[in-house]
Formats: sequence, C-alpha cells, structure tokens
Amino acid sequence: MSDGFSRRKFLKVLGATGGGAVALSGCSGGAAEKLIPYLVPPEDQIPGKATWYASTCRECSAGCGLHVRTREGRAVKVEGNPNSPINQGKLCALGQSSLQGLYNPDRVRAPMERTASGQFQEISWDEAIARVASAITQQGGDRVWFLTGNEAGSFDALINEWLAALGSSGRVSFEPLGYEALRHANNEVFGLDTLPSYDLAAARFVISFGTDFLETWMNPVENARGFTEGHSFADGSMGRYVHVEPRLSMTAFLADEWIAPIPGTEGALALAMAQVVLGEGLGTAPRDARRLSETLAPFTPENASSVTGISADKITTLAREFASGPSVALAGGVGAQHGEAHSTAAAVNILNYVAGNVGQTVKFGPDLNASAGSYQELSDLVSSMNAGAVGVLFVHGSNPSYSAPGSGFAAALQNVNTKVSFSRFLDETAMYCDLILPDHDPLEQWNDYEPRAGAYALQQPVMRPVFDTRQTGDVVLSVAGSVGVARAGLAVATYKEYLQGRWQQLQRRLRDRRPFETFWLESLQAGGVWTDIPPARVSLAASAVNIAGTVWSAPTGGYTLVAYPSSTMLDGRGANRSWLQELPDPVSKVTWSSWVEMSPHTAETLDIAEGDIVRLESDHGSLEAPAFIYPGIRDDVVAVPMGQGHTEFGQYAKGVGANVSVLLDGAPTVFGGQSHYVAVNVSKTGAHERLAKASGQNRQMGRGMAQATTLAALVGEGHGDGEEEHRGEHAVPVPEHVQDVLDRWQEDQWEDTRHGNYAGEHPRWGLAIDLSKCTGCSACVTACQAENNIPTVGKEQVARGREMSWIRIERYFEDGHDGEPVEIRLLPMMCQHCGNAPCEPVCPVYATYHTPDGLNAQIYNRCIGTRYCSNNCPYKVRYFNFYDYPNSADPHFSWPEPLHWQLNPDVTVREKGVMEKCTFCVQRIRGAQHQARLEGREVQDGEIQTACQQTCPADAIVFGDLNDPNSRVSQRSHDERGYHVLGDLNTYPGVTYLKKVRNTVAS
Amino acid sequence: MGRRAILGACLTAATILAVGVVALNPGNTLGQEATQAGPFVAPADVDTNALRGPRQPIFYRHDIHAGQYEMDCRYCHYTAEVSSEPGIPTISTCMGCHSIIGSGNPEVQKLRDASSEGRSIEWIRVHDLPDHTHFPHMIHVNAEVTCQECHGEVQEMVQVFQFAPLKMGWCLDCHIERGVTTDCTACHY
Repeated sequence: MSDGFSRRKFLKVLGATGGGAVALSGCSGGAAEKLIPYLVPPEDQIPGKATWYASTCRECSAGCGLHVRTREGRAVKVEGNPNSPINQGKLCALGQSSLQGLYNPDRVRAPMERTASGQFQEISWDEAIARVASAITQQGGDRVWFLTGNEAGSFDALINEWLAALGSSGRVSFEPLGYEALRHANNEVFGLDTLPSYDLAAARFVISFGTDFLETWMNPVENARGFTEGHSFADGSMGRYVHVEPRLSMTAFLADEWIAPIPGTEGALALAMAQVVLGEGLGTAPRDARRLSETLAPFTPENASSVTGISADKITTLAREFASGPSVALAGGVGAQHGEAHSTAAAVNILNYVAGNVGQTVKFGPDLNASAGSYQELSDLVSSMNAGAVGVLFVHGSNPSYSAPGSGFAAALQNVNTKVSFSRFLDETAMYCDLILPDHDPLEQWNDYEPRAGAYALQQPVMRPVFDTRQTGDVVLSVAGSVGVARAGLAVATYKEYLQGRWQQLQRRLRDRRPFETFWLESLQAGGVWTDIPPARVSLAASAVNIAGTVWSAPTGGYTLVAYPSSTMLDGRGANRSWLQELPDPVSKVTWSSWVEMSPHTAETLDIAEGDIVRLESDHGSLEAPAFIYPGIRDDVVAVPMGQGHTEFGQYAKGVGANVSVLLDGAPTVFGGQSHYVAVNVSKTGAHERLAKASGQNRQMGRGMAQATTLAALVGEGHGDGEEEHRGEHAVPVPEHVQDVLDRWQEDQWEDTRHGNYAGEHPRWGLAIDLSKCTGCSACVTACQAENNIPTVGKEQVARGREMSWIRIERYFEDGHDGEPVEIRLLPMMCQHCGNAPCEPVCPVYATYHTPDGLNAQIYNRCIGTRYCSNNCPYKVRYFNFYDYPNSADPHFSWPEPLHWQLNPDVTVREKGVMEKCTFCVQRIRGAQHQARLEGREVQDGEIQTACQQTCPADAIVFGDLNDPNSRVSQRSHDERGYHVLGDLNTYPGVTYLKKVRNTVAS
Repeated sequence: MGRRAILGACLTAATILAVGVVALNPGNTLGQEATQAGPFVAPADVDTNALRGPRQPIFYRHDIHAGQYEMDCRYCHYTAEVSSEPGIPTISTCMGCHSIIGSGNPEVQKLRDASSEGRSIEWIRVHDLPDHTHFPHMIHVNAEVTCQECHGEVQEMVQVFQFAPLKMGWCLDCHIERGVTTDCTACHY
C-alpha cells in the first residue's frame, strides 16, 4: 500500500471491481492489473453500488445523525441522516470532514509505548493491556484517574462503572467549548445545572449576546435550520435577528442589525431590556417574575446606555420588539466568554424569563448534553497531579496540553507515574504519555451518544478498522478482566455486548415489547431512537437576584483580545485535516493560517497593513500572526480564532498559525470556565506575509453580484430593487452610440443562447440559491471537496490563487466606512452552467461544451489545458490542475495514503494540465437517471441532490429541472427576488440567486 | 431473468455434470446468444501457447462453463444487471459446484487450495476502460445488448481475450447506430 500508487488505483479501489489495465484502450498505460474477488460475497455489498450505513457524527457535541456511503467496503462520503431530529439530513463542514479523520495519514496505527530513549515503539495489544493492568495493580485502583472529553452515553457509563470497580473516584471531563458560564447561570437563575434546548424555528425575534449559534454553539446544524426557518423571508414576512457582540462573527452575517457594545457589558443591555419588558408589562411574564422588579429597577435604559455605549432609545426599542412576539435571547457562546460571562448569561436568562420565553423557545427538560465537566475540573485535576495523587492517568478525547496551555496540565503530567492516552493522533497530550492505545475512529466504532435527553443516537462501524486500533471500551473491559474487577456489568466480552445490555434496558424503559433483536436492528437502521421529552416547568431560583451585584466592565489597558472558536476547526480538533485547513474561514477567507482581526481604524492607528505580522502580548503569553483588517470589529478589540498553532498532531496542523490560548488567563473564572477575553498589547513586528486568502476583493465595486433588498421594499409600496441600489454605485454611464451596439450584440447573443440551451424535451438542470438563508458556514464547500475528489493545494498555492475548490462562498463588505455599520453579503459561487457560456466557444478542442440537458460539461480527456475557458469565464469558477495532485511523486501530492481511500469511485481524478469545475454533480444525475431507467420511470423532482444542496444546513440550495414548471427549483427561480449574477453579460446562467432580505425596520 | 432462472441454469449444469452427459438444452438464455445451431463441445486438447489473451492464474475455461454447459454469464457475473460493475465470482460461488465436481483436475485443485487457505484468486483483467470513462453494465444489459457484442463469443473462448477495440469510436458507432445518446457526459465525468 505504501509503495506509491497510480492514478488508476484511485478510481477502482477495491476487490471485486478491481483496478487496472492491460493498456489496451484509452490513453493511459500501465502494467497488467488484477481483479481480486471476494472469498464469500458480503450480504450487503454490490460491487459498483453504494451501501449506506446509519451512524452518528462525533466530531463535536451536537451528535448529528449520519448516513455513510460506502463503496466496496470503504466509506467514501458522509451525509446527514434525515431521520435524526438533530440535523435532519444536514451536516456542517467539520462533519463532512470526518472521513479525513478516519483516513488521516497521521493516525496512530498500532499501540505504542515510550521507550527509555523517549521514542515511541509499537507493541502488541496484549502487551499494551498487560502494561496497563500492571500499572493499575502497582499504583492501586484509587490512584487511577480518567480524563475524557464530552461523553454522554454508554461509554460514559462504562468508564464510571469501571472506575467504581477499581475503587477510584477520579473521573474528570473537560470540553474546551464547555459552556460553563451558561450552566452556571442556569443554576443561578433557575436552579438547573443543565443546558436547555432552543427552538429557533419558533422565534420571530432572535437576539444573540455574543453567541455563535450558527458556528459552534450547541448544535449549529440544528440551529441553522431552525433559525433560517424562523428568520428567512417567505410569503411576505420574515423574522428579525439582532446580534450583540464586539465582533461581527459569521453567525452575525445574517443579522438585521449588529450592535457592538463595550466588550463585556452586553449583559447590562439584556438586563435593561428585561427591565423595560417587566416595567412596561410587555410579554407574558410568569407570575414570579415580579420578584425581579426590585432587582431590575436600577437597570434603566439610561443607566445601561452609559455602561454599554448603546443609546437608551435603542434599548427600549429592542425590548419592545423582543416582547412583541415569539422571541429568544441567546447567551453562552465561547467567543464571548469573558470573566463575567455567567452574569451575561444570567441576565439573558432573566430576559427570556420575563418575556415568557422559558418553556416556549427555551426548553428545559429536553436538555442538551453539549458539555460535561468544566475547566475547573481540569484545573483541579492538575492540582491533584501536582500533589502526587494521580498514579495512572487515562486520557481519552481530550487534549488539554494544547487547548488549555495556561492550566499547567502538560507540566503536571511529569508527576504522574503512568500516562495512558487513547488518542488517535500523536497530539500535544499524547506526546507526553507513556502508552498510546489508539481508539477506533468514530466511524469504526460501536457506540451510542445521547445528544439531548430523549434522543439516543447509535454508532455502528461502517467499515473494518483502517489500522490496528482497538475501541477504548474494549480495552477498558480487557483491563478490567486482567486486574480482576470484571464483575456485574463489566463481565461482558466486548463493548458491543455492554452497549447492547444498555439498549436492552433502554428498550424496557421505552416499554417496547418487541424482541430485542428487532428493536436493535431497527434502531441501527434508523440511526437511533428519538423520543420527545416535554419541556419542564421552570421557576426562578432564589439566587436569581444575585445578578444585581455584577460589575459590568471590560478588561482594562490596551486592546481587548477575543479568542473565539473557529467555525470549522472548533477548538483545534479539526486542524489536522487538509479540507478544513484549506476551507477559507467564513469571515476572513484566510486558509492555512491564524490571523489577528482588527478594525481599519486600529490598523491605521498602529500603521498596520493587511498581512503585517503583529505581536500580541498579554500577561500570560504572546503570539505573532498576520493582521486581517476587518470592518466588523470594534476599534478597541482584536480577535484571533482558536484552533491553530499546533506543535504536534500531524502534518496538516503542526506549525500552522498560532495558538491563541497561550494568551488567556489559566486561572478558572468564578463560573468554572476560562475567560476568552484578555487585555493585550498590539505591536508591529515589521515582518509581513501574504495572506493565503481565497478572495480577490472585499467589496463588490458596484457589480451587484451579491444583491440584497429589504423587507419593507418587498412588502411595501413600489417594490424597491436591491439591484439598482448597488448597481450604479461605481458604474459608468454608457454613451448612446455604444448602447446601440450593445443592444444589437445582445440580440445576436440571444439567438445563440437558445441554441446553446437545447430548448425542448430535455431537462435543464439548474440551481436556485436563497441568499436570505445562506449563513456562510461553508459546509457546501467541504461537501463538494469530498464528493468530487478535489485536491487540496496548500498555503503557497492558495496565496497564488490556485485553490481548486469548485464552490466558494464569496464574502463582501457593504458600507462600513467611517464608523457606519458594515453589512456582509454572501454569495455561494460555482459554475453557473450558462445557457450561453463564454467558456465554450473559446475551447480549441471542444473539451467544454453544452450538454443537451443544460450542463456546461468539462471533458477531462479532451482537455489540453489551454486555459482559454478560464480566462473567458466572467465568474472565475474554472480551476486548473497546475500540478499532479494525485501523484505521490509530485511535491504537491494531495492524498497521502490512506487518504485516497476516500476518493469517490464515481468521479474521475484529474491529472496535471486539466481544467475542472463544478459539474452539478453529474455523477449523481447520471446515477439517478440510470436507476430511473432500470425501474422504468422518470426521474422525480428532488431525487437528485447535489452534494452542496444535500449538506446545506440552511436549505439555501435547491437543484432540479428548470424546464419542469412544477419543480421546486423552477418555482424558486421565478421568485420575485430572483436574479442572475452578471446576467447583463447575457450568459443565461442556470443558477438563480434570490436576493438577501434584511428586516431593517422593526416590523 | 430472475434469480430463480439463474439458479435453474446452475442446477441444470450441475446435474448434467454429475451424470457426465453433454448438455443438450438447445434454448438460448438471455444475454448469451450462442451463434451456432448445434450443441457446442469444448475442445479437449488445446495448445495453450497459441491462445490469445493473458494467461490467468487458473486455466479457467469459459468455453466449458458458458459454452458446453451453457451456464448463464450472469450466474458468475452476478451484478451485471443491477450495477455498473458486472461482478467477479467469489471463490464461494466457484466452490458451490467445485466442492463436489472436478476432482482430479489440477486447475480445480488450485481453486480448492485457494479456498481452503482463505486466499483469493488474482485474475488478470482483460477488459478495461480508462478511468475517465464510466461504463454502466446494467444499462447495457437491460437494453438487451448481449454480452457477446462487446466481449465476443466468450462461450467459445478457451482463454478470454479482448475481442473489441473498446475505443471511443467503437462505442460511438454502436450508439449512433442505435440512436442512443452520444453526449460526452454519458460516459465522461
């Protein structure tokens, strides 16, 4: 496997379908290759056809359901499970990239132990388990500690049971995105140390207090769906969304209004709003809310105005809007987790409570299991380690050496006799361990997870393990046997049996009387069991009044640094995946790097240009990173995303960017978390680097590509048009004599257009993209990369503008000059499949042409790489293979073994010198057409989903036949908001965009 | 033809083999039109050096299985009707008959050895299209294109060789003749 591989091996990856040629046909050569049949036909595999398995995504705490597409025994694509109530068939970019976790070339391939020389050496599993057992015996069961990430399910139960059997109480959970502030606030205001679920679909007014609910907060995919359902324009109305944060995050892109208070004071705004709601008797406050009147009395809009810097009128208006209908206020985002974040969250709880939202849009009862443990617990573990109380430490699913450098965890490890890591990677924590017992990837595991109370999601192995790894549950059970504590529940041979035992109990609890085997198989097939838990009745706790004592203030001195979780890599767990590294950040569009966001005013003050390396110094550490100038951030704030700056972990993560966590205060806050705000000094180093940004322009220059309108314009008199609003901003008026020529040219082109489009009985495939729904999350970009075998090209090539991603999210700034509010416009841009495509006539070899069903086709084997098509494309959506990305001998090799196992066998892998671009997932179109033909029927509307559409959490993309007037895409395309990007070039695109709608005036 | 029919064909073949009688069934099975009128008898002695096509790890004879005993192609190439890939018989498919019959034949012994050792047979691929070409077997089989049109009279081949050029022009000739799609993206994507 490791001896390099040819392009042909990519495609026909396995066994029965074989791969290879005797160089008899086509243009590629090669030695005789083999067809290797199965010994016994697998029941559930048909060579050449996909087999799907339901499982659960474990990349973050959301617990989305998965449908994994496998071909010939290998997972090649993940999609959302439509049965799962969490994600309803959708996935985020991180979830899409889970295959790169499975096939990551840097995975630990076998158990290893540290030798006397400090190197790791492979050992057998039997040896490994014997080592662990002897360490436990030697140290004593009560000196065993177990650190995990967020677990909720059978594995969690097993660890607790196992530790109890050993006589240990050393269970610690640490989740870097742990929502400690929100849990603390829920406890203080309602007496509940839990995280409720939020019903964003039901809310017509959403106000977020620094909560990145479309990026990382709780379950972003569910949030995106609910939010766009409740907020986006439909049938003449829409919701309203106000975002309150010093920084305009990706989540705030769709905000109708962005309010940037003085950092750390947003809670005062929430309290003042609550005061107005209660004082004016708005909303449907529960009876006991009156108890707060006295507490809230000092928080008048005027007082809050002086604290937050927001005008009193604004606060009053917001409060009235908030109470006027179904609404929700959100708090607890990690990016706004300052030292008083628990008070902010408490204030927001009070605001929700007095407006009557608790029980309606905020539901305690169906609680989310989005976090477990706390930073405080980790900090206590460090103290115990330093005190010599920890003899054997097991680490699973957590990497505190990287994510909490200020905690002193890495140094404290020296005081632990035996450190055992279950990490799948040699990450910063595993590197300090004595034994590494690599766990299966989640896609290779039997397991379960309870994303929220009443939702039981199952994981099943979708393929055989890639490496000699072993599931931690099985290892733990073996160790229990070796040290002689395998009693009661632990007396099972495998973790799968343990899991099934728990599911038998679950079946009894659910009063399901069918045979267990039926229940189990049906649950596996569905991906889990979903029950509804009604919202509990909640009342105010006595401690709710404690909020009165809060002092709302920002860190003093210098600039306030905000360390916010990356929307794609979260706390850094996704950093060793080339797809995510190359995925342009939704805000900065930067790839393969960290950056420091600062406002144009700050940059001017400090004489910093984009790409200048700046140095940030806090009391706790320092870092250097290039500057990114962003009009969506306050002048007194700088921001750096988390997730980069790994010193270990793997080839894609190591040495990329800087770890912002080193700047943060390591001491736990009063709410048991870590403050993500810290005062920093910003200075220029004099060095400069060209940011590897995947965007050419930050502004539209009057070209009107990403258009927007307002709700008032759509429902009011006269139907204002966003196109005019931006067209003409810089457009030069056309002289009369030129206009005449243009008109005639247009007429001629129209004739061609009809030829090109093959009007008639064929379908014309097209997309409709609703910009009032697109959140910018970029899940579509990664989904496309996965589906279409798109290589990653690396930082240097991206900086040269040679990225290969077929779909990109263009992000434009509107306004935002001299302190006026900035608006963000988004535009998912892929090949427009023009009916009159400029690329087609310039190809000298007919490699690009128009298919009868309206696709702008690119035939790789015809392409000779003149690049004329790309030069003539007004949308810049054609990508050229400058290097031989699939060739292991090429320095730009993109799929080191076993990453290439993921390649989609239905799509040709392109080689050097070939142009490529979006195909509308033609392999899916042809696949559906073939299937329909076999079944003797027509292709149904909705049967074909492009990869981008299928994963889009906001359901912004619709694909289908434009010639069918009843198709969803036709109907959307005829929406009054529909327009074509650069449509005046007469390209007759197959992609229709629906203008973004802003609800600028309170409705 | 459904699964039952395929099984029927197999049973017929097995029964006939067991009693050592040459197949007399004159009926052509779908997807495998024999060209000559009378019963086909595979030659007993062949000069293996003179044969076309790559030499396989086991001297498996299509002419005996598909020709003389008239086994349906799809008994072994079991997914040709439903998948792009025709399917290569698993060892257990071979052993379905050869655990009983063929004792004493050194080539059958190779198969039995592989089966008992849990080893697969690495056949040399004869028909291959370049990777930028997608050929859906199921569409062609269901359009009643016989296997022989592309693969030749395999049921008479002592050793399988590539019969057709498999060049694009050759594909297109047939597509044009039948009036079916000649769009590039029918095969290239």
